[in-house]
Amino acid sequence: MTFQGFQRPSGVSGIRNHVAIVSVMESCNTVVRGICGAVYGTVPITMPFMRGQLGQDLETTMATLAGMAKNANVFGVLVVGLEPVTSETLAAKITPSGKPVEVVTIQGSGGTIDATASGTRLAARLVRQASALSRESCPLSDLIVGLECGGSDTTSGLASNPSIGHAADRVVAAGGAVVISETSEFLGAEHIFAKRAVTPEIGEKFLDAVLGHERAIMAEGVDLRGANPTKDNIRGGLTTIEEKSLGAIAKAGSTPLVGVLSYGEAPTGPGLYFMATPAPAVESLTALSAGGSQLNLFSTGVGNPIGAMISTTIKLTGNRNTAESFSDHIDCDVSGILERGESISEAGDRLYDYLVRVAGGELTSSEILGVRDTAVSRFGLSM
Amino acid sequence: MPRAIVLNSSDNVATLIDPGAAGDRLTIQGEAQPETILQSDIPYGHKCATRPIGEGEQIFKYGEIVGQATCPIAAGEHVHVHNVDSLRARGDLGADS
Repeated sequence: MTFQGFQRPSGVSGIRNHVAIVSVMESCNTVVRGICGAVYGTVPITMPFMRGQLGQDLETTMATLAGMAKNANVFGVLVVGLEPVTSETLAAKITPSGKPVEVVTIQGSGGTIDATASGTRLAARLVRQASALSRESCPLSDLIVGLECGGSDTTSGLASNPSIGHAADRVVAAGGAVVISETSEFLGAEHIFAKRAVTPEIGEKFLDAVLGHERAIMAEGVDLRGANPTKDNIRGGLTTIEEKSLGAIAKAGSTPLVGVLSYGEAPTGPGLYFMATPAPAVESLTALSAGGSQLNLFSTGVGNPIGAMISTTIKLTGNRNTAESFSDHIDCDVSGILERGESISEAGDRLYDYLVRVAGGELTSSEILGVRDTAVSRFGLSM
Repeated sequence: MPRAIVLNSSDNVATLIDPGAAGDRLTIQGEAQPETILQSDIPYGHKCATRPIGEGEQIFKYGEIVGQATCPIAAGEHVHVHNVDSLRARGDLGADS
């Protein structure tokens, strides 16, 4: 079972051939965007809050940026930094992948204009090299698929998430990996999911992540009801986090849970994994792509358009109203499950066939419209 | 007659997949439930009680607990944030709840 993809020196294949322009800190974002505006085939990795981190946050940010750069969807990387030390530190985390890595710094260039000029020339050369590659037959078992939901409503649990679950089972059957995340969206369903762990230790590790998160929320005196479900979830009919979680878990299909990953960590083999991440879509997609996901299946109920920068996002809905009103952003309509008696496995098979075509180059709406962003989560103090 | 889905026989709510008006009788898909007449308009995607639910009683959907009634709920009544509370991550109730 194969798809037409790009083979990488690391041995894992990608579904896209990006040249990633990666900002090391927020002062470099303008230069990154300038280079991406000048050079076809580039994607920017920028965010606020990159310079002031301490301890675990600093490690997580560097590892996540490196993970996105090492993602098999990326041909080559230009690191754009302010000063050489952190820039070279990040570049050194990426070069073991075997892909070309260049570095430009604003201080080294003497300002943003010259950094943009140097960076544009370096990026242009990388894009020329990338364009010499052709798609080749690659094993579907190379795929790591992120399982995501956002802007959920009650149709998510009834139609779109179960469709994702069926497609996820097919990816696992083909030898690939699938990763579900968003820790708080297991509250109310964690006891069901833990039973699917292949070993008691993995089940315990999963429960620790979810219940530990709940305890942390409680210790702050925070009432989750104000935040999750969100206002649009509530408008769509979701009443409690328990109801949302029981619907969300359907994305994971039916295969056993083989591993628990930390934020941005890569799966170690085929099967279903859980990754501990915050629930907002951009944060969890960022972590999933840092862990190597080339592709995400993203269900929405009331309408969430967002995708990720490095990994490709397929947006689906089971809500007939959203399929129509939000059609600009919907790649796969599974409302037939609720409206026309389509079975979940029929819809899931359609979704899987589309996934294979997207892997082979068919573009999705978030790619075409550029509705993509990056956010590395922060968990601690700033300096 | 608005359609509504019930996935598990122990559920006491149905999820509407058509908008419903007061007085409509639900066409239940999935597990059989008592005849349910809507007590008020209920939007697409929202839930209604398929049997009376007492104050403090648990709400069941997917055969699992999804919350607790904060007041008595009559059969056919809209079930949502105005009469149901979550039981999880309730830091407002104190750290040892």
